Amino acid sequence: MDFPDNLFPTFFLPGPPGLSDSPASYLAPAWSDYMQLLKPPQTQDPSINPQHEASYVTKWGRWKSDTPGPLPFLLPGADPWDPELMSQDLLFRGRVKQPARAKATIDVIEQLNHFLWDHGDIAFGPLGMLLQENFNLGEKKKSRKNKMVMNTEWLLRDLNGYQPKGCPWAHLSTRQRRFSLLGGTVLGEEVENLLGGLLHEELETRWKRLLLDEASTGGALGWVPGAKPHHGQLVYPTGRAHDQLNFQKVKLSPTNEPQALGDPSHILLRGPVRQVVTRTIQGEALVAVRSDHHCALWKLEHRGPPEPLQVLEMEKEATGISLSPHLPGELAVCTRSGAVCLWSPQHGLQQIHKDPETFVFKDPSSWRWADFTAHPRVLTVADRTGLRFADARAPSDCGELLFRVGAEASCQRGERVLLAQYLGTPDPLPLSPTLHLVCTQFSLYLLDERLPLVPLLKWNHGLLSPPLLAQLLPPPYPEAPLPLLLGGLGGHLRMLHLSVGSGRTPQLAAPPQSLPSLIDSLPGFPVLEPHGQQLLQERLRAPLTGLAAVVPPGCPSPTMLLFQLSAAGDVFYQRLWLQPDTSSESAGSPSTDHAEDLGLNSHSQTSATSSLGTVSEPSAVSWKPRAVACCRRWLKTLLQVPPTLPSWTPPTFSQHHLRWLKEENKGKVQEGLRAAMAEGRLLLQGDLAPLPPSDPPPAHEPFGTEDKLSERLEASWERKGAIWWDGQRDGSRLPRKRQSREKRRTQLSSSFSSVRSTSDFSDVNSPLPHPPKTPSPLHRMSETSQSLELSQELWVKNIPRERRQTLRDYLAVLPSPDSGNCSIPQFQNPSSQSLSTSEPGKCSVPCSQNPRTQTLFSPLPESYSAFYSQNPNSQSLYSQNPNSQSLYSPEPAFNSVFHSQNSSIQKLPSRHTPSLAGSQPLRKKPRMGF
Amino acid sequence: MDAFSEELMGFVQKDNQVEASKDPVPEIHLPWLSQHIQSTGSHGQKGTNFAQTTSICLNFIQEALLKHQWQRASEFLQCYLQTLEDINSQKRQMAPEISLQHALYLLHNGMVEDAYRNLNQAESWRYGEMSASQEKLIKLIQAYRGLLDYYTWSKKRTEVSSFDMDGFATNAATQDMHSYFRQASVNLHEIIKIPGVWDTFVKSYVEMLEFYGDQDGARQVLTDYAYDNNFPSNPNAHIYLYKFLKKEKAPEDKLISVLKILHQIVPSHKIMLEFHMLLKKSNKEEHHKLGLEVLLAILDFSGCTENITAWSYLAKYLKQIIKGKHREWVQEGWSSRKDWWPTFHFSYYLAKKNWKENRILALKKAFTSGILLGKGCKYFMYVSKQGHKIREKSIKTMKKFVMKHNILDSEEH
Repeated sequence: MDFPDNLFPTFFLPGPPGLSDSPASYLAPAWSDYMQLLKPPQTQDPSINPQHEASYVTKWGRWKSDTPGPLPFLLPGADPWDPELMSQDLLFRGRVKQPARAKATIDVIEQLNHFLWDHGDIAFGPLGMLLQENFNLGEKKKSRKNKMVMNTEWLLRDLNGYQPKGCPWAHLSTRQRRFSLLGGTVLGEEVENLLGGLLHEELETRWKRLLLDEASTGGALGWVPGAKPHHGQLVYPTGRAHDQLNFQKVKLSPTNEPQALGDPSHILLRGPVRQVVTRTIQGEALVAVRSDHHCALWKLEHRGPPEPLQVLEMEKEATGISLSPHLPGELAVCTRSGAVCLWSPQHGLQQIHKDPETFVFKDPSSWRWADFTAHPRVLTVADRTGLRFADARAPSDCGELLFRVGAEASCQRGERVLLAQYLGTPDPLPLSPTLHLVCTQFSLYLLDERLPLVPLLKWNHGLLSPPLLAQLLPPPYPEAPLPLLLGGLGGHLRMLHLSVGSGRTPQLAAPPQSLPSLIDSLPGFPVLEPHGQQLLQERLRAPLTGLAAVVPPGCPSPTMLLFQLSAAGDVFYQRLWLQPDTSSESAGSPSTDHAEDLGLNSHSQTSATSSLGTVSEPSAVSWKPRAVACCRRWLKTLLQVPPTLPSWTPPTFSQHHLRWLKEENKGKVQEGLRAAMAEGRLLLQGDLAPLPPSDPPPAHEPFGTEDKLSERLEASWERKGAIWWDGQRDGSRLPRKRQSREKRRTQLSSSFSSVRSTSDFSDVNSPLPHPPKTPSPLHRMSETSQSLELSQELWVKNIPRERRQTLRDYLAVLPSPDSGNCSIPQFQNPSSQSLSTSEPGKCSVPCSQNPRTQTLFSPLPESYSAFYSQNPNSQSLYSQNPNSQSLYSPEPAFNSVFHSQNSSIQKLPSRHTPSLAGSQPLRKKPRMGF
Repeated sequence: MDAFSEELMGFVQKDNQVEASKDPVPEIHLPWLSQHIQSTGSHGQKGTNFAQTTSICLNFIQEALLKHQWQRASEFLQCYLQTLEDINSQKRQMAPEISLQHALYLLHNGMVEDAYRNLNQAESWRYGEMSASQEKLIKLIQAYRGLLDYYTWSKKRTEVSSFDMDGFATNAATQDMHSYFRQASVNLHEIIKIPGVWDTFVKSYVEMLEFYGDQDGARQVLTDYAYDNNFPSNPNAHIYLYKFLKKEKAPEDKLISVLKILHQIVPSHKIMLEFHMLLKKSNKEEHHKLGLEVLLAILDFSGCTENITAWSYLAKYLKQIIKGKHREWVQEGWSSRKDWWPTFHFSYYLAKKNWKENRILALKKAFTSGILLGKGCKYFMYVSKQGHKIREKSIKTMKKFVMKHNILDSEEH
């Protein structure tokens, strides 16, 4: 192999990153991007002045796109998608006192505060259970038996009627005072410490993941070329849990858009697909998939379904997988334990490196990455601090370093390796197969494994999201520079042009180019009303989780198809082609292009300005009707997808309501609960208690001719409020006037709830000819009202008198159910529901927002059958059906398991998937406004 | 407040380097963090200050440049130029660096004299106290100036040698040349003492030293460049030394020892084929043994799998070794490769491919595979079958040799 016989001059000064003494770091931002554009002066024949080369654009042309943004390639999946957690959800949103020094604070205290108030049951429940033995909450027998029991009847009575939420002037009885003094420390601090700690930890993890989601490093979109030159397959995950691996056959055309051939075949996995790697070597097309605790390898045949070769289960989370470019079926796998293994179905696993510590300096991240080198037995192992060689022939933990986050590469402070990739492939690339790409959050480095620690090229990519995807493509023409694509998680795409001849150092041949991301396609879609628009925007802004560029053969001009996969499971594509430069004559001398390159660098504005005027702007591309129609079709399907339920709904049943039941009813409730759980269905109202035929209590009454309020107050004063109420209910019929008033109140509250649910957009007029059959927000309302209603019935008979007033006041404030909407048709389909927990106190109604994920991961066999009965044609590879053996073995950590014989991969029968919301019958549209 | 919120705040204050330098290894710095925070923080306050505006403007410029929208970029640039007035001292200190870039640019475009002037100016640039890093930067600038002096020297040298000048003119020209040499050598000598990759500078310096007959000095420079541990392991340094020694007609043992080190660093280097020939010619048996290992190591690399020279050397050498009764060398070299070379080199797929694309390569490989894997090897079988079909002459002798001498069968004997 040729080694460049004349390297570019550079200092080599070891030291920590950001060392101010290193001139290279001083030069860093400008040095690399610009200087690399230049060739070192030729010393061989200095009598000849170095010739300036024709610029990339004049020589090869410009990469242009047909459309201003990527177009949808496949219709959106049947599963709704919501963008999960965003930074706005976590950060403190109040007024900043010092605007000059803006602070970002994760508002743990506020979040905890809300949690304690809104979900006191959960927060204090376990503690209450512990203390329950020593407190009497109204049961008479208990207090007589045990002297250690404290009667809280009077305490609860004191608490009635008001909630002193932090009010210092609230009246405290002696009893309350004593209780808070004695119990305050236990109740307050313990909860705060335990829960607060956990919450903080959780928020921290979520926040870190939000800033850097390393799970999707490498990308989950793969392209496998087919036997015929214009055919191939896209491999990518879909589904809310990213657990469905799809193999979509695609037909490429030299002139037209790529075509998806039929529905994808798919495999349902038992974990989310994080990374998909594809490679065709020695005529064998392989697909490797990384999930959190599993890695699997498939072989793609020209005909027939993918053949599973082997599955690996690991105890610690897998962080990277790569397929060998040299030997078919050989893989490198690494996990969070710091272990790196060479894995092949024939020879099994061979651990070649294990070190829980990071290489260069201590970094808390346990992320590891492994890839191959030009030598089939030598791997590179990466962590956040650097890259190191690991030799499979002589495993040791101290191989030579290939890259180090330090002064040698003039790294900045806080710089870390985010992606490492071996660029050499056996394809006829005019590239010496020794190049490695390293991406940090600031820069891109190219390294030659024969010259460790000295980057041959450094470019400041300036991406505002972690660059986790990269792909090197073959040159459009022989001798032309190679396009290198770099993708950020936030959808940012860059295309670089690497000129790499054998025996030459790699250089940037042209100014890097930014390519449109999904959100740039927004103008191609019709304008929707706010809800729909928001949904569309969120969808297009979904993180970029996969990138696959394909070069269709036999095109008249060099073409590149760029497929992008978003976290929402959408596959978009864009067609780029190299247009010969026509404006080069008008652009002036070729050197202007280099001057343009200067403009990349903020320090050299003067030279940039001088040249800018002479350069013609590339003609803008507009949205063509065909592209718009494509977007429209996609949008239409998207709008038919049932919207997601909010990620969390407050529990509507609580221990309170159950605790106050009388003994005889308690037994009935427990029976009902058990029955519901055994059947795996939702707890219904009828299971708990018969519905007493009573109207809901009225709310506040204005003073009128019949001053009922005064009467009630009088009766209450004499502690005869309940008697008064009973009398009222039995004795008199409500006047019509009140009925209408109540009706109005209900309307008001229902419209309130429909406004609250922002994710529901279906109630707004849709531009589609047929309005989507999505459930109206009323459904959720009725869930709430159902439980309310239940409690309303119960309080009359079972709740101790001293609690009734509180409840009455409480209920009066809440929206009461519309009697016409009180039935519960949304739970007609019991199989799509399952109770998430067997604890009677915690049986919340909407047990899971993601029934599919839940059933898949649930250990209950019933839920499997419940899910698969809905979809008999698509049987899971990993179902517990005795006929189909599990592919993912339950054997202990890091065991390789040979594949099952009867793996079942079938065509997806239809895009429809049963879901909680989808199974509900169409309901009346909610009323808007007043 | 909690610890990691504190970290966040630290991140937001970008230029807070002084504070951060307390601990040797800072936390990961994520440039997109401020974006996350801005999206939340902008609810409260509308106005942005000047610095923010300019940074947004700079972002726009960069985005426009990346999209190759030059017109748009220039419009933003005009707005951005305002900030130049606000330029701080740190940026002014970067002036030499910009000059260096400019000089390189001029050089690239063939404007050597302008570049020289530029470097001269850069060297004399002073702003405030010179930091250690600036000192190194100045050294680099001086080195480049030295390189330009070397260019002039080189030009003069050709002039002196080509033109028929009278004694006086030659003498003047030689003196002129010599002054350029002195200027260049001072600067070049300075830079190559600092650890780094100085291929161009070293080559120029050595050429001048050689011209003036300072062989020892040149050798010393090259030896230091190759073997100083503070320098990166640069294969070129070894190549330069080897080529120098070869030109000097140094003893073969000396050449072998230089290339032996290179073999350890870069076993795939193309000069290794030359190394193999050197070893083959040597009188020592250990060199003969190493000669095989060198060839096998070249063929380990994916970039050399179709190197026909290496394969024919190997085929020839295997024959020679087996005839010389050193079969154990082959077995030794093969033992670490037997689990992956068959798939890597001798698969059925590759046999078909090689036969189709390069028949000679296929024959050389088939011979080797026969020796190493026996006559049952897929590669050997395919090629000999195909060769038989087209009545390739060499097939028969190859088959005969393989039947008799392959290392598999001999193990059984």
